[in-house]
Parts: sequence; structure tokens; C-alpha cells
Amino acid sequence: MIKSIYNWIDERLDITPMWRDVADHEVPEHVNPAHHFSAFVYCFGGLTFFITVIQILSGMFLTMYYVPDIINAYASVDYLQSKVAFGGIVRGMHHWGASLVIVMMFLHTLRVFFTGSYKAPREMNWVVGMLIFFIMLGLGFTGYLLPWDNKAYYATKVGIQIADSVPIAGPYIKQLMQGGDIVGAQTLTRFFAIHVFFLPGALLAMLAAHFIMIRKQGISGPL
Amino acid sequence: MSNHDQHESSHKSVKRKEMSRRQFLSYTLGGAGAFMGAGMILPMVRFAVDPLLVKKTESVFVKVVAESEIGNEPKEFKFQINQVDGWYESEPQIAAWIARGQDGKIYALSPICKHLGCTVNWNTQGDNHYFCPCHGAEYTVDGKQLKVAPKPLDEYQVKLQDGNVYLGPIIPNTRV
Amino acid sequence: MAASSKGNEKVVYVGDSRIRKGTSPNIPADYSAFPGKSEAFIPNFLLKEWMVGVVVLVGLLVLTIAEPAPLGYPADPLNAAFIPMPDWYFLFLYQLLKYPYVSQDYLVLGTVGVPGIAFGALMLAPFLDTGKERRFYRRPIASSLMILSLIAIVYLTKVSWDFYTHELRLTNTIPEHKLREEKAREAAEKGQERPNPMKKEKPAALVDADDPATAILKKAQCITCHAADLQGQAGIPALAGVGDRLTKEEIAEIVTNGRNNMPSFKEQLSTAEIDQVATWLAKQKAVQ
Repeated sequence: MIKSIYNWIDERLDITPMWRDVADHEVPEHVNPAHHFSAFVYCFGGLTFFITVIQILSGMFLTMYYVPDIINAYASVDYLQSKVAFGGIVRGMHHWGASLVIVMMFLHTLRVFFTGSYKAPREMNWVVGMLIFFIMLGLGFTGYLLPWDNKAYYATKVGIQIADSVPIAGPYIKQLMQGGDIVGAQTLTRFFAIHVFFLPGALLAMLAAHFIMIRKQGISGPL
Repeated sequence: MSNHDQHESSHKSVKRKEMSRRQFLSYTLGGAGAFMGAGMILPMVRFAVDPLLVKKTESVFVKVVAESEIGNEPKEFKFQINQVDGWYESEPQIAAWIARGQDGKIYALSPICKHLGCTVNWNTQGDNHYFCPCHGAEYTVDGKQLKVAPKPLDEYQVKLQDGNVYLGPIIPNTRV
Repeated sequence: MAASSKGNEKVVYVGDSRIRKGTSPNIPADYSAFPGKSEAFIPNFLLKEWMVGVVVLVGLLVLTIAEPAPLGYPADPLNAAFIPMPDWYFLFLYQLLKYPYVSQDYLVLGTVGVPGIAFGALMLAPFLDTGKERRFYRRPIASSLMILSLIAIVYLTKVSWDFYTHELRLTNTIPEHKLREEKAREAAEKGQERPNPMKKEKPAALVDADDPATAILKKAQCITCHAADLQGQAGIPALAGVGDRLTKEEIAEIVTNGRNNMPSFKEQLSTAEIDQVATWLAKQKAVQ
């Protein structure tokens, strides 16, 4: 049954080569921890992606309860964490996952750096990877305003002040981030939109580019 | 067991199905994937379906009006209830049409039309009926549906105490 | 038309479309060039990756159960006791801004200059480090710069964290999220409801609400700001219950000279009237 549906689609779209390419490509010995234990350093990229998936899923579920509004934001976070079953776990996954994703990405970056894998012909993939790094930091920064507690509030104030110190464009960036004249209701909705729609959208596009380039160029050779 | 073995060895054509290394790896991979998926998704799904599984809280009776003010003609009374909706706690005002029935018992009708949820009003057409302005549904003084609506108006549970009328949760109409 | 003369056509289209049939199929690079054993991505290699993934997932779940995600008290712009701290991965940038030449007049160096150069260089690494050599010990400049930055990041993060813990000890502060958890746990042990910081306390009732002083409050338009029920409004304190916070003399002083955004009332009210109002307000105590 499933096979015949698959065949029907395959006849029309020729989808087999797409996944065959991913599934059957050969992984060389030097990245395989079964052959050289030190090759475990090559797993951090995959783990970053895995935790990113956890972040996206847990974030989607958190928005079922969260409201980006200065009066209700704190109350809704408090509610979902302490009153809803498994709320503590889902929020915990999102909170600690955010830290973990940074750690994994950091290790992945170091691996790529110290194995010199960013060198020709993989320069573009390194730049895209760095963009992913910045997007992740942006997600972290916009994310911790959302519960609207004191830490959120003051960290965001400092962050916006830092943006303000940029020469010439500073005040405009500040106003753009802040929305209104103070860090308040308009800031929160902005940060929410950026955290939930804009940055994840950019992240997915960058991830796609990252993976396509890896597939196209293959893993860098042994040292 | 030995019987079975003999049986199998007697048929040369029966091929023993052994798992290939690739198959084994595929199953293990599937298992690991399923574990990861479940570990990730199950807490989130339980989190999402929580509203289905929470117990409904019993609503309490609220004092609305003195018994002596209730006549045979339905009159609208507004009262406040304490409503906890997730993290949002409020005290919205709701309305009830209270009257003394033919049997002398006090009853209270909810003015939410059973057709599509508009608010009905008493005797706006001069015919001693509840009338719904949205689609023209009509109900008798007891809340029995006459036109358009499929069901009679809901009732509030009524409790009389110390000469006051207390209203509780909404129940299906008991008078028709 | 294309179908009839397939062999002779220079350009061959796919099916009935105008899409050119690709001439060079995308054949992924294989690793036959590399010595040693390679293996298929699925299932052999991915299984190894996922085994690590399972360990990480279990670790993450254990962490979420052992350590609830922190949540402090609702944002309060007037809270001066709060010691702000960014998340750990921003600490090094946060600490950097405390040093001379990257603060005060040179703040822009700390916020844009140093991080801009560091991250810019990192982003452009493939164009700065263009040699063929990939081993890190054969690339002394790139590697030593990276190691130096790593040491700097670790050092700055540690200094920042130490300063924070020192500050906490000094001011005898418990971080808000810990305090909140502690309070919730205490309440649970006593069988009370969890304290909800969003829930306002019951407003204090007015004492002697029909005192003649209330007429003065109306006359002086106190109620336009402090609200008709004297419960205050956004940013303006309640007068009900003010007796718990201030003495009669302090109230009289504030009414006479004003405070913060509150204007002085010595023009509108006589000293006797101010005294009358202050006496009445000082009586406004929630707890009798």
C-alpha cells in the first residue's frame, strides 16, 4: 500500500535519487569514531542540528500558552511552568536547550577551525555557518526578554543601550528594536516577532544552505 | 523444539530468514530514532493536551437578589462571577432572567440563545416570549423553544437561602 | 515535435515541458580518493550519530527535571536592588565593557570595535588564512589568535561571574529565581497556595472615609492622580494604606513641597488644611 503510493509519486517526481543521495553517500573513515575514537569531534554539527530541532518543537508548543504582552507574559510563563502538566519540562527543554545549542555550536566551530576545514573550497560554508552562529545568538538575546521578569528586562535594556552606542546608526537601531520610547509593550511584541518568526525563518534558510553545501562538497578530507 | 528443527531441516527449499547486518543496523537506527522522537515529543504533547485532562472546577453559588423581588414576570439580573481562565483571573458580569413559575418555584434562565449563541431579551415583541434578535428565535416564559432554536434555554441551578436567591452552574432546562 | 526527432535534437526537453534535460547528473563526490574504509551514511554512520544524540537527549531531559528553568519576579523598572546579568554566553562581552579604553568615552570601541573586529575576523577567516595547510600546528598565526581569544573569553566570563557572586554576597541578595522557588517550596510545605507575584494584595480599606479631610482631597484635586478610591494608578502610589509607609510629618512635607512627579500644594492649601489632610492620611493603615 505505502509502497504503491510511493511508486506512484516516484513515477511522477523521481524522488528516489533525492533521498538516495543522502542515504547512500559514503562517509569516510577519518570522521568515523568506530575507526578513530578522536573522530567524535565531528559529531557536534549533527548535535547542534538535533538540539535546534528540539528548540523549534518546544518553542512551537510553548506559544500555545505564552502571550507577548507585558501584563500577561509573566503570568502566562508562570502558569505554563507551574500549572500545566510537563510545562516545567517543556520550558526547561527550551531554556537549557538554548544554552546547549550554543555550546554545541561553539564546539562545532572550534572543530572546523582547528581542522582547517573552512579552507578552499569551503569558504562559503564557513561564512554561512558564522551567520547561523549570529542568528543563534540573536535568538538567545531576543528569547530571554520574553518571560518579562527582571532579568529579561534589564538584560534587554543593556542590549539596546549597546546597540545605541553604534556610531551614526545607533539611535535608529535602538528605536527599531525598542519600538516605543521605553523598553515596554512595543519592545516585547517586537522581540517576540523576531524570536518566533524572523530569526527562525532566516535560520532555516541558512541551515538549508549549510547542508546543501556540505552535501555538494563533502566532508573535508583527513589531515 | 527438536521436532520443529527436524521439520525445517527436512525441507531443503525453506530458507532460514537471517537478519542481514544492514537490516539489523536499520532496525537499531529506527529504534534510536523512535526513542529520540518520543523523548522529545511526548512531554510536549502531554503539555499541549493538558486542557483536555484537567478536572473542571465546581463553580460556586453566587448571591444575586432578594427572593422578595422576584415576580411572575421574568426580570433580568446581573451578577458577578469569579472566572479563572488559565493565568487570567477576572470577575465578569453575567445575566440571568429570574421569575417565579406557575408552580411557585423560582427559576433562572440563561439568556444565551440555543440557536447560535446570541443574547435573548424578554417580551420585546409584546407577546410575552423571549426573542432573539439574531435569527428571530423565540422561547416561552419557561424557555421552551418555539421557533428556530433546537433546544430550550439553559437554566441556572437555583439555591434559596435566608430569603436570597443564589445562582450556580448552568444546567440543561428542567422545566420543559 | 521534440519526441519525433529526439536523436537529432541538440536540446532535449524533459517530458512535455520546456525544461532542458540535464547533461551532467549530480553525482555526489565519493571518497575513493581517501584511503581506508568508508561506510554508508544510512544506516551505518547515522546510527553512531544518533547514539550520541540519545545520550544528549537523556542528559537534557535529566537536566530539565533536576533544574527547573529559572523565572524571577515580574519586570519592575524601579527595582534598584536587582543585579542584572545576561545569559552566560554573553558574559564575556558584558565584562569587556567594564574596562578602560572600551568604556566611558571609548564605549563604542567596546560595543562595536573590539567585538566587531573579533567576529569580523572570525567570519572572514577563510579569506585571511588562505594557505593550503590545514593542520592547526602548521598555522601558528591563526591558531594562536584563536587560542588567545578562547583564553580571553574564558577569563572574562570567569571574572564576570566571580564579580556577580561577590556582589551577591556583599549585598546579601539571593537571586530572584532562587528566592521565588524557595518561597514556592515553603508554601507547598505549609500546604498553602503557591505565591503568585502577579496577584495584587487586597487594596487597603479607607479609615474614617467620611472625615471632613476628604473634602479637602477633592478640592485640591488629589483624586485626579491618586484615583477617586485613593488606590492610586499606574506609577502613582495609593493613598489608602499610606499610613503604613509614612508618618504624618512626612506626609505633610510631601504635600507641602511635592516629591518626584507630584507638585507642591502649598499654594492651593493652607497650612491648617495640609495638617488636617496629613493627620487623616496618617491614619490610613491597612493593619489596625
